[in-house]
Amino acid sequence: MRNRPALRPSEHNIVAYVVLIPVSIVMLVPMFLLISTALKPLPELMSVNFTWIPRTVVLTNFVKAMSVAPFARYYINTILVVSMIFAVQLVTISLAAYAFSRLKFKGRELLLVLFLVQLMIPPQSLVVPNYQTMSRLKLLNTTFAIGAVYFASAYGTFLLRQAFRAIPGEMEDSVKMDGGGGLTAIVHVFLPLAKPSIIAFALVSVSSHWNEFFWPLIVTDTVKARTLTVGLAMLTQATESSPEWTLTMAATIIVVFPLLAAFVIFQRRFIQSFMRSGLKG
Amino acid sequence: MSGHRARAWKKRIAPLLYILPAFSFLAIFTYYPIAYSAFISLFRWSTAYPKRVFAGFENYIQIFHEPLFGVVLRNTAIYSLSTIFFGMILGFVFAIQINKRIHVSGAFKFALFYPTMIPMAAAGLIWLWIYAPTYGLLDNFLRLLGLPNAGLLYRSNTALMCIIIVSVWKHVGYYMILFLAGLQNISSELIDAATIEGAGSWRRLRSVILPLISSYTFFIFIINIVDSLQSVDLVYIMTQGKPANATNVIVYYIYQQAFRFWNMGMGSTLTTLLTFFLLCCVTIVFATVGRRVYYEV
Repeated sequence: MRNRPALRPSEHNIVAYVVLIPVSIVMLVPMFLLISTALKPLPELMSVNFTWIPRTVVLTNFVKAMSVAPFARYYINTILVVSMIFAVQLVTISLAAYAFSRLKFKGRELLLVLFLVQLMIPPQSLVVPNYQTMSRLKLLNTTFAIGAVYFASAYGTFLLRQAFRAIPGEMEDSVKMDGGGGLTAIVHVFLPLAKPSIIAFALVSVSSHWNEFFWPLIVTDTVKARTLTVGLAMLTQATESSPEWTLTMAATIIVVFPLLAAFVIFQRRFIQSFMRSGLKG
Repeated sequence: MSGHRARAWKKRIAPLLYILPAFSFLAIFTYYPIAYSAFISLFRWSTAYPKRVFAGFENYIQIFHEPLFGVVLRNTAIYSLSTIFFGMILGFVFAIQINKRIHVSGAFKFALFYPTMIPMAAAGLIWLWIYAPTYGLLDNFLRLLGLPNAGLLYRSNTALMCIIIVSVWKHVGYYMILFLAGLQNISSELIDAATIEGAGSWRRLRSVILPLISSYTFFIFIINIVDSLQSVDLVYIMTQGKPANATNVIVYYIYQQAFRFWNMGMGSTLTTLLTFFLLCCVTIVFATVGRRVYYEV
């Protein structure tokens, strides 16, 4: 990246190709299989001679998947959950990150440690007590219950805190001189200048909650609030004995498509964001 | 006087108000549940005892005498350690290769990283189909080689390995990216200096690169112990702990106790034990690399 000389093949690079080409092919096998299966008619799949390229390409599996499960509903629920989580997180983490990076106060160290606890004890390990809380609050089967446990994010707080620290103090002082307080500074100075970190956090947050499975599974038992991943699991478990693989793979594509498409288009951004998420930002 | 007070208020209380929103959610969904499950773990509370009865440490004594608990711990340790071990080694090797000046590195990054973008549940389904008896890809492949159908996912000595393979496939790209971030932080002058001193590529790796990313590596390791709790998604989709609990891991076991057998007392006891283990991990992270990673500019 940093003023590297033009590409020239060397012995060195050949090793890289020898390692990466076969590994990439193996890594892509599940993806090929996913697409190939979803496009086959069921009888062709159950003939013993396996083929990668379907002899007849059909879209009926997708049509059937859409009709046997309310995927439109699942889509709406999932979009609601991920956008609600990110919107609330953005507020809570920018306020906390501002205090942790710019203000000196008693108990700051202790509070940082308390935030660190969430990093190591994720909501996933606390499903039993959190289920009871949601049950008592009569919030089972709501998108709110799926999202609420993620409203505070220690990871996001640390990421933004790091970004806020890199912003020169004079920027904040100019806001203070105009009579603005901390909130004004956050909205007009810190958030705009920390944009790369916020984008990184947004991508990591949205993709991880889009893909979330276990907690939504626990707090929902009707289609009302169910998200895509839970709906997908229910679809396969509804069918007795062995699943209808053509249908299952078509449904899987319906679930994974938006994120994978976004990843294909914005690959560089996604990868940079996940690099930042190594908490070194 | 009032001016002084107002200033003191501003210095002491105002910062806490910024923390308050995040802290409230942490209090409700992290701190309170930790305390609550520790409390409930002291009760008999299940379908047999719908009204909870105080039982002291009975649940703890019972769980440590339960042979299945040992099996679950063993499975969890094997799953987590092998996923992290193989994932990190492969991730590191791939990161070193992809960090070289090569063509189409974007395509390689896609091939290695796309599983990170797929939900665990979907990954579980795709691989369930790969492992499916007779018609699945694996059995087709084995037939091609003239080998008998294996049904590896359905045999108690290989089922866990099958799930670990899925997990490594799912995580290796992510580990690679984390290592890539670490590698790109190493200044090229340092590498060049080593090269000028006559260090070969193996020597550069051992004496320059590895020491520089070692604390980072440790950090990735600890963070990914937490990440490995997600194995529950794969287990739920692929095996439900079968065959004969060969793939039963801790979070799935908690799920079974609490939501299949509705034994909330035992579910809480297991949650508390898991929390305690993770808190020990926090302490280790904090006592070692965490402090540097979080506190320094």
